[in-house]
Amino acid sequence: MKLDPSFIWKAFVELLSVVPTTLLITVVSVACGLLIGTAIALIRTFRVPVLHPVAAAYVTFFRGTPMITHLLLIYFGMPLIVDGVSAFFGWPFRSSAIPMIAFALLSFSITAGAYASEVVRSGLIAVSKGQLEAAYSIGMTTPQALRRIVFPQAFAASLPNITQLFIGMLHGSTLAFAVSVVEINAKAQIVAATNWKFFDAYLAAALIFWGLTVLIERAAGLLERRIQLYNRGGVA
Amino acid sequence: MIRLQGIEKSFGRHPMLKGIDLEIGTGEVVVILGPSGSGKTTLLRCLNFLEKPNAGRIRVGDYEVDCRTAGKKEIQQLRLRTAMVFQQYNLFRHKTALENVMEGLLVVRKLPKREAREQSVQLLEKVGLGGKLDAYPSQLSGGQQQRVGIARALALNPEVILFDEPTSALDPELVGEVLSVIRKIAKEGITMIVVTHEMGFAQDVANHVVFMDEGKVVEEGHPNRLFSSPKEERTRQFLKRITPDGVYSI
Ligand SMILES: Nc1ncnc2c1ncn2[C@@H]1O[C@H](COP(=O)(O)OP(=O)(O)OP(=O)(O)O)[C@@H](O)[C@H]1O
Ligand SMILES: [Mg+2]
Repeated sequence: MKLDPSFIWKAFVELLSVVPTTLLITVVSVACGLLIGTAIALIRTFRVPVLHPVAAAYVTFFRGTPMITHLLLIYFGMPLIVDGVSAFFGWPFRSSAIPMIAFALLSFSITAGAYASEVVRSGLIAVSKGQLEAAYSIGMTTPQALRRIVFPQAFAASLPNITQLFIGMLHGSTLAFAVSVVEINAKAQIVAATNWKFFDAYLAAALIFWGLTVLIERAAGLLERRIQLYNRGGVA
Repeated sequence: MIRLQGIEKSFGRHPMLKGIDLEIGTGEVVVILGPSGSGKTTLLRCLNFLEKPNAGRIRVGDYEVDCRTAGKKEIQQLRLRTAMVFQQYNLFRHKTALENVMEGLLVVRKLPKREAREQSVQLLEKVGLGGKLDAYPSQLSGGQQQRVGIARALALNPEVILFDEPTSALDPELVGEVLSVIRKIAKEGITMIVVTHEMGFAQDVANHVVFMDEGKVVEEGHPNRLFSSPKEERTRQFLKRITPDGVYSI
């Protein structure tokens, strides 16, 4: 086998055109995941009645099953629900009108939510109870105390885990291929289909993923240094 | 004026406070003494509802709540009238000394930033930390952190400041600086309730000493009287234990 540098370069350039798709899937799923995860973590930390067991079940199910399975369940399950509801109300809307990428965004957000809930929960646990009590003692309400005192510290404590989640979702976004979304990996296969130089194409894909991952790590490192300024006591 | 009536608190099946009645005049400096586990911390925490009492009434200034029925609003009102200085300082770790003191003024009192800042700087100067405005808690000694804690409590201009063993986490050589700040503000006539084992402080500064044991007030009175001629046997034994000769020079 011989490497074809000029083809690798050509593939590389072509793959760059779908980087926005990959980033869209990653950013949306991490952002939604953090929102879902924060809600779940709060429900579990404050043991909200009724919702608490539901939240626990959500986390164990979605952490206990593969991401690709979530995608397939959503892909095959959602149309049944959407079409059923649509028919019931007599709406003209049909599931075939849903763009493929929507399934990936929804499914990966749900997956990320389950992982993020544990990330946020460990961040909340890292904030000592005394911080919340001090906030209460000066007359803050619970939402004020959470927003001003608990969340900033929990966020700082969970930054390394959030970075990890981000990288995990970036790499996991390749699964969107299963519902015909053309992201970096799928594009590599398409590019190579004409000349069968799969290795070269996937090598280009690997370089792009690597580059993106390093960028995420760099950004996280900068953010960490800024945010953790107050924390001179850490081991690292 | 502060008045506690029939305060009860249990943890699970264990009664910790068994009906506490206490009246504290404005400007009084109250020292609470008692053996470990007698409920001193629990009593202070009940006063601002960090623990919810099971029964009783709490009156702070012109505001009175029935502990059994107190909801969010009542608890909030009570907390606006009280402040607490914690044994472990509990400064907001991600905020500088100045921001720690400003936080309540900005968020709770909703003062404009400039005004909050001015007042906070003054308070930090008062506790001798005018030069540490921008230091984070992790960059301050225990004594300095506790003084920021005191400034933070003072900032909200509460009716009463609650101190739970404010010096017991400190290295011995740092105890003095914190006690002298507490002395200074005591002289300004701020009502305070102090749980402490510092007998010297209790004798010099307190004008009302409360001795607790097993969740009850055993005896209370002026320190001169209580230290020199305790009425209750349990008080006598406790005082003997913490000062072996049992005699106080006042
Ligand atoms: N949240 C809680 N849940 C269960 N038990 C508790 C709780 N908080 C305190 N206690 C119990 O209350 C008792 C201590 O009460 P408290 O802390 O008020 O005593 P104290 O007089 O402050 O003692 P010390 O001098 O040691 O500080 C202990 O037996 C402790 O186990
Ligand atoms: Mg205590």
